[in-house]
Amino acid sequence: MSNIAFNRLQRECKEVVTNSEISETGIMIEILNENLTEIKGHIRGPPDTPYAGGMFDLDIKIPDQYPFSPPSVKFATKIWHPNVSSQTGVICLDILKDQWAASLTLRTVLLSIQALMCTAEPKDPQDAVVAKQYMDKPQVFKATAEYWTLKFAKGTLPVNADYQARVDKLKDMGVREEEAISVLSCNNWDLNRATVYIFS
Amino acid sequence: MDDEDMSCTSGDDYGGYGDEDYYNEADVDAADDVEVTPTHSEEAEYECLTVSQVERVFLDGMNQLTARIPVNDKCARTLLEANQWDVERVVKLYRQDRTDLFRRSHIDARPEPKRKLSATSGVKAKGYCTVCAMEGHAELPHLACGHCFCEHCWKSHVESRLSEGVASRIECMESNCEVYAPQEFVLVIIKSSPALKQKYDRFLLRDMVNSHPHLKFCVGNDCQVIIRSTEAKPKRVTCLACHTSSCVRCGADYHAPTSCDTIRQWMTKCADDSETANYISAHTKDCPQCHSCIEKAGGCNHIQCTRCRHHFCWMCFGDWKSHGSEYYECSRYKENPSVAAEANHVKARRALEKYLHYFERFENHSKSLKMEEELRDKIRKKIDDKVNEHNGTWIDWQYLHKSVSLLTKCRYTLQYTYPFAYYLTGSPRKNLFEYQQAQLEKEVEELAWAVERADGTARGALEAHMHRAEHKRQTLLHDFFF
Repeated sequence: MSNIAFNRLQRECKEVVTNSEISETGIMIEILNENLTEIKGHIRGPPDTPYAGGMFDLDIKIPDQYPFSPPSVKFATKIWHPNVSSQTGVICLDILKDQWAASLTLRTVLLSIQALMCTAEPKDPQDAVVAKQYMDKPQVFKATAEYWTLKFAKGTLPVNADYQARVDKLKDMGVREEEAISVLSCNNWDLNRATVYIFS
Repeated sequence: MDDEDMSCTSGDDYGGYGDEDYYNEADVDAADDVEVTPTHSEEAEYECLTVSQVERVFLDGMNQLTARIPVNDKCARTLLEANQWDVERVVKLYRQDRTDLFRRSHIDARPEPKRKLSATSGVKAKGYCTVCAMEGHAELPHLACGHCFCEHCWKSHVESRLSEGVASRIECMESNCEVYAPQEFVLVIIKSSPALKQKYDRFLLRDMVNSHPHLKFCVGNDCQVIIRSTEAKPKRVTCLACHTSSCVRCGADYHAPTSCDTIRQWMTKCADDSETANYISAHTKDCPQCHSCIEKAGGCNHIQCTRCRHHFCWMCFGDWKSHGSEYYECSRYKENPSVAAEANHVKARRALEKYLHYFERFENHSKSLKMEEELRDKIRKKIDDKVNEHNGTWIDWQYLHKSVSLLTKCRYTLQYTYPFAYYLTGSPRKNLFEYQQAQLEKEVEELAWAVERADGTARGALEAHMHRAEHKRQTLLHDFFF
C-alpha cells in the first residue's frame, strides 16, 4: 500500500473514531490489521426503517491503489434489502463502482450505505427477488426485512410469531435455520412453495 | 498417366467452353486480359498517415473551429474530440447553448463562474488536500471546476487511470464532478516522469484517433500507420507500410460481401469452440455504443462502459437514462408465437445444424486458401523450371501465376459469402443470393481443378475459367455488396 493510502487511512480512522457525530450518525469503523488493508464497518439501522434497532457489520477491503480505486465493501451481516445481495452481502452502490472519486472517504461511504438503507433504489437492484417483493408486496417486504434484522442484526423488535412458526416447521424437517429463513423470504413466506423448493 | 488425365480434362472443358460461354465473347480477341472490368472498386479510397501527419489533421480541425467560435486551441481539441470532429456540429451546439456544450464535453460541468474551493465544505487548514488528508501543500492545482488537490495526489490519480488505459477521460477527483483533465494539465502533473508521459501520449493519440470517424490505426503488428478514409462501405484498405489488408470500417479481415456487424457476430460465434470464447459469450456482452467487450463483475444490471462511459441495462441493452421506471419491461419475454411451441432442445439442435452447415463451408474454404498458397509456390517453381529449360520466357508463363491469384481472390470472396448467407433471412433475396453463391462455388472449384492441372497445353481453357469465375464474383458483389 502506498504512503498516501496509509496516511490517509490513519486520518480517516481517527476521523470516524473521534468525530463527535458518531453517536448521532451511528457509524463506526474498527481496524482489523496493522497495515490497514482490512477494516470492519458498523452501521446502526436507521430509525423508522425495517432495520431500526439492528447493528450491521460490513467487511471493508482496501485496494493497493486506494484512494484512487474504491474500497470493496460488503455486508457481513445478512440483510434483506433490494440493493444488497441476500446471499452474499454485495452492495450495488454507484460510488463503490464507477462513481467513486478519490475525495470520498470511508465515512462518506458508510453514510451513503446508511442512506441507501433509508431509501432503497429498487430500479437499480442487486437482488432481483428482494426488489420484486419490495415493488409488488411492500408489506411483506417490510415484515421480512424486520424479521431479518431481528434474526441476524440483533434487532430489538418483537419477533413475528407467524414467520417464526413457519421457520420452525422447516427446521423440524431438518433444514438449517438460515436456509429456512432465506428460502421462505424468497417465496413470500409461502410454506408449501418453500418446502417444494428445498426438497425438489 | 497423369499427363493424359490432365489433357483429357482440359480438352473436355475447352470444348464445353467454346459452345456455351458467352461471357468470353468480348474477350476473344484479347485473350491475355481476363480481368472483368468491375463497375465499382472493392478498394476504399484512403491515405496512410504518419503520427505527425495525423497531428496536422487534428490541427486543421482545431484551426477551422477556432476561426468560427472564440475558443482557444486546447478547448477546441476537447470540443472536437467529444463531438466526432464535426466542426459544424460544435459550432451549432455552441450557438444553441454554450454552457450545455461545455458541460457535455466535460470541459466545465458548472454553469457558474470558476471558483476555488476545497473538496469538502467546512474550514480546513491552509494547503489541505482532501485526498491525502495532508496539510501544508504549497500548491493545489485544480481543473476548470476549481476542486483543489495536491500535485502528488493528482499524479497518483493520473497514474492509476493510465494503468486502466484511460487518458482523454481522466476525471476530476471530486465526487460527482464530471470535468475531464485536459492535456496541458496532465502534462504538467506528470512532467517529472518520462515513462508516464510516454504512456499518456500513446493512449491520448489512441483516444484521439478513435474519436475521429475517418481515422483508424493500421491493424498490422507494430505498425504505426494511421489510415484516413471517408469510405462508408466496408471496403478494403492495404497499408502502404506493412501491406496488411483489412476492412476500412471495422479493421477485421476484408469480408465482402458480408457487413461489419454480421462478420463480428459470425467471428464471435465461430470462436465458440475455444474455452475463452465460451467464457466471453457466457459472461460478457458488447457495449451497445462502442462495442467494447464488457465483463459483468457484480450483480447490478446498471452498467457503465469504462471506455465510452455509456450507461446501459445489462439485460435489454437500452440506454439507462430512458430506462427509469420501466425497468421491469426487460423482464418480460416478448414471445414469438411461431417458434414458441417448439421444444427448446429441438430449436437448439436445429440452430446448431444450420450453423454447422455454414461453418463447415466457411472453414473449408479457409483451409483451401491455405493449401492454395502451397500451390502458388509450386507454380512459381514450375515457371522457374520452364524458363530455365528455355521453354518459353518468364512473361509467357505469367498467366499461370495470374490464375492462382485470381483463384485466391475468388475463393476468398466465396468464403465470406457463408457468414452473409447464415444471417440472411428467408426471402426472394436469399434465393437469389444462394443461386449466385452456388454459381460462384461451381466456377471456383472448376477453376481450382484447372489451375492444379495447368500446363502449357490449355491456356485458353484456363483463361476462360478465370474469366467466368471473376465474372460470377463481380456479379455477386455488385448485387449484394456495392
